[in-house]
This record gives sequence, structure tokens and C-alpha cells, in this order.
Amino acid sequence: MRDLKHIHFYEDLLEQANNDLVKKARDEGKTCVAYTCYYIPEALLNLNNSFSVRLRAPHTGSLDISQYYMTSFICGYSRALLERAFEGGFNFVDCYFSSDTCQQMVRVVENIHELNLIDNPKFYYNIIDAPMKLTEHGNKFYTNQVKTRFLEPLRDKFGCDISDEALRKAVEMHNRMCAIFEEISELRKAENPVITPREFHILCLVSYACPTYLILPYLEETLEDLRHRQKDEKNHWRARVVVVGSEIDDYTFSEIMEACHCYVVADRYCYGSIPGRQQIKLNDNEPVLDQVCRAYLETNQCPRFMAQEKVQGRRDLIKKLVEDYKADGVIYEQAKFCDFWGYERMLAGRVMAEEYNIPTTQIDREYVVSGSGQLMTRIQAFVESLEIKKIQAKRGNDEKERNS
Amino acid sequence: MKKYFGGCDVGSTYAKCVILDEEGKIVAHTTIRSKINPTETATLSLEGTIAQVEDLKSIQDLTYLVGTGYGRNKVPFADENISEISCHAMGVHVADPTITGIIDIGGQDVKGIRIDEDGTVLNFAMNDKCAAGTGKFYEAMARAFEMPLEEFSKLSLKAKNVIPITAQCTVFAESEVTSLVGEGKPMEEIAAGLQVSIAKRCFVMAKKAGTDGKITLTGGCAKNDGLKKAIEQVLRIKIAELPIDPQLMGALGAAEYARQKGLAQK
Repeated sequence: MRDLKHIHFYEDLLEQANNDLVKKARDEGKTCVAYTCYYIPEALLNLNNSFSVRLRAPHTGSLDISQYYMTSFICGYSRALLERAFEGGFNFVDCYFSSDTCQQMVRVVENIHELNLIDNPKFYYNIIDAPMKLTEHGNKFYTNQVKTRFLEPLRDKFGCDISDEALRKAVEMHNRMCAIFEEISELRKAENPVITPREFHILCLVSYACPTYLILPYLEETLEDLRHRQKDEKNHWRARVVVVGSEIDDYTFSEIMEACHCYVVADRYCYGSIPGRQQIKLNDNEPVLDQVCRAYLETNQCPRFMAQEKVQGRRDLIKKLVEDYKADGVIYEQAKFCDFWGYERMLAGRVMAEEYNIPTTQIDREYVVSGSGQLMTRIQAFVESLEIKKIQAKRGNDEKERNS
Repeated sequence: MKKYFGGCDVGSTYAKCVILDEEGKIVAHTTIRSKINPTETATLSLEGTIAQVEDLKSIQDLTYLVGTGYGRNKVPFADENISEISCHAMGVHVADPTITGIIDIGGQDVKGIRIDEDGTVLNFAMNDKCAAGTGKFYEAMARAFEMPLEEFSKLSLKAKNVIPITAQCTVFAESEVTSLVGEGKPMEEIAAGLQVSIAKRCFVMAKKAGTDGKITLTGGCAKNDGLKKAIEQVLRIKIAELPIDPQLMGALGAAEYARQKGLAQK
């Protein structure tokens, strides 16, 4: 297929966290709000005077300094963020909002604060206590935390408008972006889709890593381009998979999948589009803040939610994705030392294979996946086993037809 | 002219090549030490094997060629590359169809593989970047013991006791071994400790892959008698002997895939 419109521009934007659009927004006087997790309601952070950036650490090298402060038994993503802060890579951040989703992320923020790593006089951070259950009380608690620890400081320290009307506008903009992804996601259901996993991953990453109001016009043009794009004549995808798991903010992962001719039909991992790129439907009866916070908790797929209905809900979602997107199998991936996904991967990986009869494989990986030959071997072997199963199933069906 | 099918397994320490005829009979095979450049390794290995077959003059004379191993996509003139996991499963299936589980210990990884009844992979587990329990680990340990690898692999068989080795990391295990040798501990008992620690790692891979029934060892380390004995003790099973060199299983599987695909092209 010919190059997707703006794809090279997007690749450039992903070269560093402080990309050209982030610089532009800051030059316009807007407040940069950094975050790392779905517990932080991104939809509420893009206000009249602020924009959100989900933090990444592209081109991570040695992690010696962060390892000294946080030990080596901490996920590579956390260490890479702290290391990048040491390297001065996050000085553009005005606010850093985090949650106690995991203690590893909390330690990143605390270290950044304690060691005074952000060379920005305006720098402000806060951490919320995120609920582990979806209850009325938990919802109220979460909503109040978002209000008092995120929104009110944005208003009081950075002059942002956090009125109900302003929040509604922010959600509308968020929904405009999600509508783009909802349409693109539908394209992935085709047998020979017009968008590759690598391209989708790149689009998704820029939507998180750039100011929404600045990346939106580009994404809209890319969508228009996709609507008319001609697919390759030959379908060279050998297997279709749903990828489930922890944080993947480097599209090298998708490049490895592509090298194995493995098509990622649905991306249910942190930094992926499920959840995160679905519109939030608002009613006119309740405050926007309440509705948005409820939506974030309800759609949250983090294995930190340990209530049985959430555990079951996560499995059912994967089953639904497999069916909706006609996937051949599931890859459960986990960033090394991600505690929650460690448990989820081990258990759900078996449950999907043995109880749901969905071919499943499990991989644990480093934060930096480039050059990982072993990762490629695992994915290729899984693709080969899926392909063989499809061939065998087709043979069986052909035989049945001949006999009937 | 008769048709021949090649499988070339470019591993991190050794390259193996197998050529099959149309009936699936092994007509030639080679094992050579890998060079730094995988393409050069593959070429040397293929040329060495082809030279054993009178009908073949060059690599291009092979009807179908499959590359496997870490350098699988660097095999010149290969029609396809297939992961070593799939190839080991197929190779073992060809060698002994009653075997359902594999512990493959290669130069830089350890794998557990569960085989389906047609030689395809049912499930697998694989170590990460760590070199513990791999061929590289054994090379480092033999170096620490100042003896050839073959001699080292048999050393533990003489041990009356086992001295546990705490470190799994290749570098730290080597330094732990050096300390123990320095303390005057019996060499064979230290070696036995090393073998048990690796056998435990193999146990994890075998269990993760869900292997059961008849299990065999493949890869270069399958020739390590001390390790085999330790695995039998740790897994409480009898390791099935293969009728063909276990180090050739990846290349054999690749050649068998080449044979099936090459014949299907008719």
C-alpha cells in the first residue's frame, strides 16, 4: 500500500516526548499535563488552557540511575520514565498527575519530586488514590479525588476553566478524536484491512502523546485518506490476533508482529485504543465530571480491579473482541515486573485457552523491545501454530463438504 | 533428477543442516560452529551438506529450503523461514512420533515444547534474554573448570553429593564456582550442583509448556549426560532417547517442512 497520509510526520512526533506539537502548544501558553495511566481521565485534561501528554521514554538506553533509586525489580516503563526525567527529557511538563495504580508509578513521581528532577519552576504534581472496586462509594471517592487533586489545582494554579460547560467542551473534543479511532477500528475487521498494525499503533500513540487540539486535524485527514485507500491485492497476513496486556508505547512491537505477518486486530493494552479511544456519551442531567469519572472506572480494564465481576468482565471483553474482530488467537503480554499484569497474564492466559478454547500465548517482555530476537521467535511460533490450525480446520471443512 | 529438500538451522553457537530426499530419508547432514555472520554460517553449512550429495551442485538445486534458528532469515536462497520452535517439534515428530514433549536447550535459550499428534506445536514456553541454563552458560562453566565441554558434561556423574549453586546468572554462577573451587570443594560435586540448577530451569519450561507423556531433550545440550541425569531426577521421568542426533532436530524439522511444502508445490 502507498504511504498513509502524515505517517512520517507522526513517526517524527514519536521520536521524543517533547515533540513539535507539544512545543507548539506550550509556545501558545498552554499548560502541559503529563500522565501515565487510564486511571487519569485524559478527557478532562484538555481544557481551555491545558493539554495532556501521556508520557513515554523513546530511545531508552541504560537504566542505571533509575535502577539505583528503584532497584531492578521494577517495571522497565517506570524506570525508563525516571531515567528520562534524570536526563532532562521531561522539563516541558508543568503538571504530573498520577494515581496509585501501582506503587512503581507512585515511586516515579515521588522520586521526580524529591530529587527535583523537573527543571520547570511551575512544576506541580499530585497522586490520587484509585479505587480497586467499582462501587457507588468508590465512584464518589474517585470523582472527588479527580476534582480536588487534578481539576481544582489546574484552575487555581494554572488558570484553567473547570466549569461544567468547559468540561463538556473537553469531552466533545475527546469524542471527536475517539470517533476517528472507532471508524478506523472498524476497518481492522476486514479480511485484508487497509491499515497495518504498525500504522494503527502509530496513530494511537500520537493521539496520546500530542495535544489533542493540535493532532486532531491531522488525524481527521488521515482518516479521510484511509477511507479511499486501496488495499494490497495479496493478503499476506497469516494470523489475526488480539493483543492484551500492559503498557506498550513503542510501535517496534507492532513492527515485530508485522514481520511475523501477524495482524493485530484489537489492541487491549495500556496505550492501546481499548479502552481509551471510545466516545463518552454524556447526558444533560448529571454533572459532566461525575459522568466522565464513572465512564473511566466502568471501562477501566486494569487487572488492579480485583472484584470478581471485573475479572470476569475482562475475560468476556477479550472473548468479544476475538469474535467481533475475527481473531484467530490472543497474545497476553506483560512488561517484566508489572505485578498486576503478571497475575492476569498467567491466569487469564490459561482460562482463555482452556475454558474459552481460544488459542492463546503468553509473553513477558522488556520495555525496550527492539532487537529482541526471542520475542520474534515466540510470536512467529504462535503465528505458525495458528496458521496450521486454520489450515487443518479448512481441510476438515472441505472433507465434510465432500462427504455430504 | 531426484528432488532434495533442505533445512538449515542457524543457531547462535552451531549451525546444522539436513537434506532429505522425497521419501524423507536423511541423505546428508552437517554441524559446524557458527561464525559471527549468520549468512556466512548458513552458506558454509549448506555448502558442506550439499557436497555430500552427488546430485546436488549448488544451494539452488534444492527443491525447497527452509531456514530456522536465530539466523533463520539470513539463510541464502531459502524459500521460507520457520521458527525453531515449530521446527524442533516437527523434527522430533519425524524422529519419534510417540514423543509429545521437548526440552530444547540451545546456545542462547531454553524452551519447553508440547507437540501435537501431527508434529505441530500445541504449546511452548521460552526463557528470556538471560543466558542461564543455555549452551553459553555451559561454555562459561567449562571454562571456569578449565576442561573441555564434553569432559565437563560427564563430571557430575561421578559426584557422591551435590553442592547447591545459588546463582542462576551466568556471570555470577561462574564467580560462585570459582569461589567453591578455591575453597577446595570437590569439582564433581560443584558440577552436580550446576546441573541440578539448570535442570530446575528446564523443569519450569517443561511445566509452563504443559509437556507430559514422553519427553525428550534436543539441542546441543542434549548430549550433556550430566544434565540429562539431573533432569531425569528433577522431573522424575525417563528422558526418551532419539534415534537421530538431538542437535539436528531443528534442521531436520525444517527439512521436513521443506519436503512437505516442496512436494505440495508439484
